[in-house]
Amino acid sequence: MAPALRDLQKAFAAQLLGSGITIDTALPVAGDSISAAARLRVHRHHVLTSLSKALAGTYVTVERLVGEDYFKGLARSFITNELPEGPVLAEYGAAFPAFLERHPVVGQLPYLPDVARLDWALNMAFYSPTGSRLTRDHLARIPVDDLPLQCIELAAGTTLICSAYPLDRIWAATQPDAAEEPVDIGAAGVRLLVFRRPDDAGFVVLEEGEAALVAALHSSSTLEQAAVAATAANPDFDLSTAFSRVLGLGVLLHCSKDGSVTG
Amino acid sequence: MRAVAGIGLRAQHLDQVVRERPAIGFLEIHAENYLLPSPALASVENLRVDYPFSIHAVGLSLGSAEGLDEHHLERVATLVRRLQPNLVSDHLSWSVVGGRYLNDLLPLPYTEEALDVVARNVDRVQSALGRQLSIENPSCYLAFAHSTLSEPEFLAELARRTGCGLLLDANNVHVTAHNLRLDPNAWLETLPGAAITQYHLAGYAVNDADGEPILIDDHGSPVREAVWSLFGRMLHRFGPRPTLIEWDTDIPGLPVLLAEAAQAQAVLRQGEERGARAA
Repeated sequence: MAPALRDLQKAFAAQLLGSGITIDTALPVAGDSISAAARLRVHRHHVLTSLSKALAGTYVTVERLVGEDYFKGLARSFITNELPEGPVLAEYGAAFPAFLERHPVVGQLPYLPDVARLDWALNMAFYSPTGSRLTRDHLARIPVDDLPLQCIELAAGTTLICSAYPLDRIWAATQPDAAEEPVDIGAAGVRLLVFRRPDDAGFVVLEEGEAALVAALHSSSTLEQAAVAATAANPDFDLSTAFSRVLGLGVLLHCSKDGSVTG
Repeated sequence: MRAVAGIGLRAQHLDQVVRERPAIGFLEIHAENYLLPSPALASVENLRVDYPFSIHAVGLSLGSAEGLDEHHLERVATLVRRLQPNLVSDHLSWSVVGGRYLNDLLPLPYTEEALDVVARNVDRVQSALGRQLSIENPSCYLAFAHSTLSEPEFLAELARRTGCGLLLDANNVHVTAHNLRLDPNAWLETLPGAAITQYHLAGYAVNDADGEPILIDDHGSPVREAVWSLFGRMLHRFGPRPTLIEWDTDIPGLPVLLAEAAQAQAVLRQGEERGARAA
């Protein structure tokens, strides 16, 4: 008896992702001098290579660090356990950094999951809206006494990454035009703020107090609470200088008392 | 829309097309690459002022027995409203099962059950978009033993039931006919010409399967002679339609695509002149 379409599609997917391909009544593929298994392999090959390419497009730095062939192996193990939830491939692969954490490769490249987090954050920033941002003009319209209680949010696509490794230098060393200088992996870690720029995505290195300020704003603190957190992280923290720098990056939105968010 | 030749707009050429605005009959984009805000979407919106557009979806999964992903459909509908394209299309295939996306145009058995499923999904898409959807014939590498309809019979009945258009890909007809040992001319005979809204042209690769050649629709080379010849027969049978040059792997410089489009335009012009003489 012919399988119902829903059952056939389940069997087809299972065959594509399984280690071997078997044809049975659940999957009645016709074969001739080209066997049914060889015909199914065309689809298996396409699913794995196209999703591997999609991951390589997002995890550009990871691929540069481990090489194309090794990356394909990583991608294939990831893909068979984590298929996309939708057809927008720019949204595929959020779980890849966590997958790398559990992979033996971290024994040799312990910074790889953090590099993957940076790649993912850059991808998310690139696919985020620009829109209006909080500016000095907006701030000038707020009475000075009200400033400490202002709630300021981070624009969509803005991510703070705190790493125990010199992630900025690792990233720079993988760029096509980078000078061939060794990176001291044992150097101090960094805090990177990844964000959408007008025509692309990029990141800057934040000092400890700036990172604490941004992290506090991200968790819906008021400006005053964020400043307290920043000073706790760095006793020499200067709110005016730090806030001015973060404001200048174009990553802040103003959240008014009624909850609406404006630039 | 006049029977002009267009090209698939790929990321590699986007900046150059924005800068130089070459003469192209129309541009086609893959819907799934433009559903998120990005600098690329801003460029496409800018180009929309100067070029007619086609939106070609690859992920609606019209053949999924579990129905459509409504969230995805809504995002496609939003893009269609923004860009107001001349044509919206997707494939006679499936790619989603159990809510997971396989990123391939997977084959359907051509049965009454599958016809009901695809017709229901096409109706839903056309209702969400408020306009006609065109369905492209896929490249096939396998057939199911329990199919009861031929592919063109299936497409013809789908068009009759739903009012959808048919996007006739000459390369896919050639690839399918070779891989499934069919006669491409006989394949064309069953198709209702009035439903055809657009033609596609692309290159294919030849791989080995069990020691025999199998053709792969990889869109990675110029249109082959056999496909140009089939395209000529399609024009003779169905008349000219807007025609797209697709290139998706090993993408060459923009001039190569423009030259292919110019060749398609020349063939279309001959078809139009032949039609005018016949009238």
